[in-house]
Amino acid sequence: MLKRLITPRNLGILLIIIGIFVVSGALGLLKIPKPFVSLAAEPIFYLGSFPVTNALFTSWIVMLLLIVLSVLGTRRIPKDVEAAGTDELVPSGLQNILEMIVEFVNNLSKEIGGHWAPRFFPIVATLFLFVLISNWFGLLPGVGSIGILEHPHDLTVTSYVANGPILTSEEAGVAAALAVGESSDGEGEEHGGAGYVVIPFLRAPSTDLNFTLALALVTVLLTQYFGVRALGVGYFTKFVDFSGFKQGVMSGMIGLFVGVLELVSEFAKIISLAFRLFGNIFAGEVLLVVIAFLIPYIVSLPFYGLEVFVGFMQAFVFLMLSLVFFNLATIGHGGEEHH
Amino acid sequence: MEVLGLKALGAGLAIGFGAIGPGIGVGLLGSKAMEAMGRNPEVIGDIRTNMILGIVFAEAIAIYALVVALIILFV
Repeated sequence: MLKRLITPRNLGILLIIIGIFVVSGALGLLKIPKPFVSLAAEPIFYLGSFPVTNALFTSWIVMLLLIVLSVLGTRRIPKDVEAAGTDELVPSGLQNILEMIVEFVNNLSKEIGGHWAPRFFPIVATLFLFVLISNWFGLLPGVGSIGILEHPHDLTVTSYVANGPILTSEEAGVAAALAVGESSDGEGEEHGGAGYVVIPFLRAPSTDLNFTLALALVTVLLTQYFGVRALGVGYFTKFVDFSGFKQGVMSGMIGLFVGVLELVSEFAKIISLAFRLFGNIFAGEVLLVVIAFLIPYIVSLPFYGLEVFVGFMQAFVFLMLSLVFFNLATIGHGGEEHH
Repeated sequence: MEVLGLKALGAGLAIGFGAIGPGIGVGLLGSKAMEAMGRNPEVIGDIRTNMILGIVFAEAIAIYALVVALIILFV
């Protein structure tokens, strides 16, 4: 079907459209406000005195979406699977897609986890789906662009004149900002600039370091749990290893040192899991906004495709790493395992 | 020197030097994967999957450098 679409006439039209956008972007006819990058998620409302940030709010929406999808997808499964006819058991539509995802994750956990797969699978599948939908949520239209107009607190940020509820590309002058700041009360507190920036209502949860750090902590704590489950309390001799002393003092010291390295590497796992996911998705978001600022509308498209791919890959990598860590914890460093 | 100028310099250096290592790493991964695919065309799919996995891990280091650059610029 694609071959029939790629005719010289269609290609010509496509090139003309792209040319129009590139030229008008370069001439400055199409303008997008300079990106306002905020590393921390901004609070959008308060529950009592607890600030609810846009990333937290979006993660609630993602959770709701996953629950609704699961309920809708499993409605057709007959209660009594043994007695059901083959017609009722064949999945279709949403249930089919969900079964594909479940089979994918299940095969992976069986391949890496071995006979521990039934215990790893629920946690790992939850992590995978939650991270995947969180990553992809940031790419939906409206996420990151619709929000509250606020004066920026930092005067060095370029702010824009607002035309009613819509932010224009007209920069608010810094001189005007300073004038606003000086004409108000002279108590020495900083005042926002004269223009506005957008504080979005929704923001991909994975762009909030709190979210990724929480997931990383949960994963590493679960590895300790699975280690104790498999090897008993003897699991902790991985970190405090006195067995080297049987072969002499030198071996003993080396064993102790290796134990300390193992402990440090647990913390390194937390940090690397958190920052890998955060960095990839946050940097992708910043990249999309900056590319849109440079040449609007057209050049963002390949990067959009890249972000879709990166979102899936980061979720997949989180899945693989969790499985590998869980598996390593249950194996123990001697290669033996108890049940 | 003004703080803003130093910030920009710091961010540029952070991501500039930080991307050298992962760039070389991804190149090595890709070249070895190509070699392996050439020697054994049967398992191209498996090799490709594992190559992508390896590339994602190497990219993560570049992403750490990018996060540091963004923190320097915007925090």
